[in-house]
Amino acid sequence: MSLCQNRLQEERKQWRRDHPFGFVAKPTRTAAGGLDLKNWECAVPGKTGTLWEGGLFKLMLAFPDEYPTKPPKCKFTPPLFHPNVYPSGTVCLSILNEEEDWRPAITIKQLLLGIQDLLDDPNPESPAQADAYNLFKKDRPAYERRVRLVVRENQPN
Amino acid sequence: MATWMSDDGLDTRESICEAHTLITELYDPANQRDPAKINEIQTRFQQLQKTDNAWAIADSLLQIEDSPQHRFMGALTFTVKINVSWHEINENKAREIMQHLINRFVALVTNGEQTMVVRKLASSLITIFRHPYARWTRAVWQLAASLVHGGYISEEQSQTADFREQILPALNKNGSGALLFFSIALAEEALQLESLPHDGPEESSALRRARLNAKDGLLLVQFILMEIMQQAHAAGDDAVDVALATEAMSSWKAWIGVHGNRQHSSAEDVNDLALQSGRTVISTLGVSSLSEAAASILTSAFEGRACVFLGGSLDLLASYVVDSNVTSHIVSVANGTEGSESMSFVDLLIAYVMYRHLALFTDDTDSKARAVLQLVHGILKTPGYAAIDDLGTPRVLEFWNEVAESVPGDLEKGSRAYDFVRDHLAEVVISLGNKMLYPTPEELEDWSDEERSEFNAFRHEACDYLLSAYPVIGIDLVTVFQTKATSCLHNLDWRNFEASMFCIAQLSEAVDENGHADQCLDAIFGSDAFARLCAGADTGIPLKARQTLVLSFGKYERYFKRHNSLLPGVLNILFESLNFELCAQAASRSILALSKSCAHVLTSDLPAFLDQLDQFRSKPTATVSTMPRVLEGIATIIRSLCGDQERVQTLERILGFFVQEANTAREEVTGPGHEYGRLRAHLVLRCIASIGKGLRSKSEVIDIETNQEGNPYPPSFWNSGPGAETQRLIMQAMRLLVVDFPVDNGIIEAACDILKAGYTERAGLFVFPPSMTVDFIKSFPLGISGTDVIMATASSFLASHAGHAMNIRIEAEALIDHVAQLFASMLQKPETYDPETANAGIDFLARLLPKYYQILFTPTKSDLGTDSPLAILLHFTLFALTRPEPLPLRSASAFWVALIDLRGSSPEEIQIIDSVHQEFVPRLCYTVTQQIAGRCARSDLIYLTDALRRTIFKKTALARPALSAALDTLNAQVTDANGQQVPVLTPHDKSRFLESLAIARGAQQQSLTLVRAFWLKCRGMNYDYAQ
Repeated sequence: MSLCQNRLQEERKQWRRDHPFGFVAKPTRTAAGGLDLKNWECAVPGKTGTLWEGGLFKLMLAFPDEYPTKPPKCKFTPPLFHPNVYPSGTVCLSILNEEEDWRPAITIKQLLLGIQDLLDDPNPESPAQADAYNLFKKDRPAYERRVRLVVRENQPN
Repeated sequence: MATWMSDDGLDTRESICEAHTLITELYDPANQRDPAKINEIQTRFQQLQKTDNAWAIADSLLQIEDSPQHRFMGALTFTVKINVSWHEINENKAREIMQHLINRFVALVTNGEQTMVVRKLASSLITIFRHPYARWTRAVWQLAASLVHGGYISEEQSQTADFREQILPALNKNGSGALLFFSIALAEEALQLESLPHDGPEESSALRRARLNAKDGLLLVQFILMEIMQQAHAAGDDAVDVALATEAMSSWKAWIGVHGNRQHSSAEDVNDLALQSGRTVISTLGVSSLSEAAASILTSAFEGRACVFLGGSLDLLASYVVDSNVTSHIVSVANGTEGSESMSFVDLLIAYVMYRHLALFTDDTDSKARAVLQLVHGILKTPGYAAIDDLGTPRVLEFWNEVAESVPGDLEKGSRAYDFVRDHLAEVVISLGNKMLYPTPEELEDWSDEERSEFNAFRHEACDYLLSAYPVIGIDLVTVFQTKATSCLHNLDWRNFEASMFCIAQLSEAVDENGHADQCLDAIFGSDAFARLCAGADTGIPLKARQTLVLSFGKYERYFKRHNSLLPGVLNILFESLNFELCAQAASRSILALSKSCAHVLTSDLPAFLDQLDQFRSKPTATVSTMPRVLEGIATIIRSLCGDQERVQTLERILGFFVQEANTAREEVTGPGHEYGRLRAHLVLRCIASIGKGLRSKSEVIDIETNQEGNPYPPSFWNSGPGAETQRLIMQAMRLLVVDFPVDNGIIEAACDILKAGYTERAGLFVFPPSMTVDFIKSFPLGISGTDVIMATASSFLASHAGHAMNIRIEAEALIDHVAQLFASMLQKPETYDPETANAGIDFLARLLPKYYQILFTPTKSDLGTDSPLAILLHFTLFALTRPEPLPLRSASAFWVALIDLRGSSPEEIQIIDSVHQEFVPRLCYTVTQQIAGRCARSDLIYLTDALRRTIFKKTALARPALSAALDTLNAQVTDANGQQVPVLTPHDKSRFLESLAIARGAQQQSLTLVRAFWLKCRGMNYDYAQ
């Protein structure tokens, strides 16, 4: 089995054993019902006490063959209204960038916790979508209203 | 006593005296409620710990007979002082410290010192052990020998006596306990050193030396545990020193961690010893006072992937699991008579079966394996709700999930083992069925939010298991839940029905598309009981069951497409469910999903749905989250009607209501209920936009590239025929809620969606006159929030007419002129600079460039006085490149890349473009050069480089002299090492940079590397990440 597959198997086991409350992370399934370890369906809950509380935001992690040397691509599905999420849904976060803070030791759990932190603590230095970024910078009450709507539309089932 | 530890000298004696007093005061009960005082004492004491007198202070404190607190602080001071003086400790001093501490350790232990002091001094010994000059190797052996001897003996001397046969038996209870503390501390230190990056030989040397103690550490464990076991056998459970045994087991775990992490330490004798002591730890499961601690230690050893569980050990452990007091505890947990206090035994069981994994199923005649599996199944029968009262089930589920996932890849289908596992997986399915029952509303009231979430998470985990087991068990798995659901539906047993439907809904992922479960689903949805439910009979279905049922409809979209005769009834339930807050979200989602996939068969039911809509729209559950989805679904069905004539009546009926609502919103917004007015307006526009989305035909979408038809707004049924009134209703609602209505981001966005709804069609209800878009866009002032959405709509508008650009020249010019006016205003009054408008406007220009450049470059009219709009626009895009805001800078860079890439298709066009390039490329080169010469932020370099590399590659002849001239203007200076002012960039630096850029020929990475190095040189090397 490749390094990538081995690591992902291990990540799967570790996640089963211990994962942060309210988070979801599992490999997708193939048409035959088997696991596709290189594509994970995940969900990150909004942190308690923040604007994002109550929402559960779905994202996909796509692991390249070179994982863990290279980071996975994280994409909110559907794309999320957030200053650091590209219109395609791709998350702009330094720990997900090979040229910045990605390290092979970073686990899926740490990634998802990092993304949860990012929700309420956007990085205005690194805007990824104009819509949320402009509202965040210019009209905070409207931004917060919009986030509340996003939270309402992303309730856990 | 070494001189450095001597208490001679007035200064030293005073310090010692002060330290004694400070510790007395620190522990004085009178001071305990005075944090400021405590803080003051600690600060002063910490200062003393770092002085030259600290050695003498530590030693003196350690000798105070009547105060363990003073002795504790003495040991602590030794640790602190060793660390503080780390680099001053030479070989002699290290040996002296070690010798001295061993002597003190032995003396204290001999006098029956308290545990806290012994532990602290053991930790001081570890600190000196770590020192590279300590050269201490077999530390456990030497310390043991010193304890037996009654004082320090050298490492060489200690080796003359056999550790196992002579030294360990000679230790008394205090001695073996104290040695154990040291041994654990040493193992933990080794583990910690392993996890740290090894920057030098120092750490690796200490780590190597620590690892050499693994054998002695394990021998000590074995010795202590065997002694305790003998005591237990001889004098009963009460005679057992539980604390010491627990320490010994922890020591075993720590040493096998050290041993297992490095292959080179895997000497055979250490391996054997690790296994042997592991078996001893397993045997302590049989001693009732030790079994819980043993279970916890063994569980964590399994989780740490310890390599000490080989055949014999595993068999021994299995024996304890299936036939000992461990078994009784597990059975009691499963019966519900024991709870969290006995979970360590369940954890051990799970850790064991996880470790064995599929090996447990290879021999179906293995009686121990069968008994173990029986216990595992038993956990799933624990009374109470999983994750709330029953903590075992979620843990057992992890095991079964891993097994189910491994089977298809690891076992051959049809093999004995495969069938054996399948039977077990099926048994789990049956047990889980009973665990899925949702609590009653009364029970739920007593649950905290966290408990609710925990239980919901468990239900999803359980369904994850079902999906993992489905490839192995097949359709029988669905049948289990279908049978239950059908019978519960018949008997109106709603809680069990809900649980079964929940599982069936989650299984849709495996069976909806392929139709494998259609017969099962027929049995439920084709039943009389379900028909009664569809007909709205008073079945008393509770909200939770309704919510789950409604969710399941949306999950089986393809099934209902194949069985479309069921749809009217299903939609009836869905519309009814919209009235309940708990169900409205799920119902609206399912209505949309089913309407989209089965629109054609639902047209005959449209009147009924419209009646349902009339009732729903006045309900409190008709919100911006639910109503737009319902309307999009209905619009999708309307789209499937035969002919516009039929569509127009229905649409008029719906839209008439929204015009009324728009009027109401307009009245409300001027009065005290303005917030309601705003919300209502938002809802109205969002609903109309959703209708547009639903009506949009996927098959009739125009191809904007090839649509050459001349008239951008040809007469149609919807603008000059019978549909004109309906279109007028939309325009009226838009006017009511946009013109002179308070600006609101949500409203702007919804209005833009309405406009965009018709951009991909040639004729339709939402295809409005082009002037409507232009007027809408021009109606918003500079700086409002939502400009990016507005300008994106303008871009979409122009894109939709790109095929006949010159036919909407007036509208395009008006939009360009509008942007030019906004830019001119910001250039004239820099305080009004709005990054959002800048970004949105430049982005609009970049997008229109490929198809509308002729209009951009040769405007026929403008409201802008003397300056040409083009000059203003280009000037502004250069200005944006110099601003700190990231988005306008990125858009401006993208704009210039598009402009540089532009090619005309006729000599006239080429001439126009060339003249623009001639005029503006030098200005672009100057601006970019100034920015990359250290002015811009590092994160902007990538975008500025894009513009630069394209320019130098595509417009070399223009760019090279322009860049050279721009570089010549850079004349910043720095002070060199001799204090002389010298230029940051020499002429050679500048020409080399330019040449290198030219050689890179526009290659992205190469150009970026050059620009980054250039930026760094200009900005100063202290900005280098690598520094």
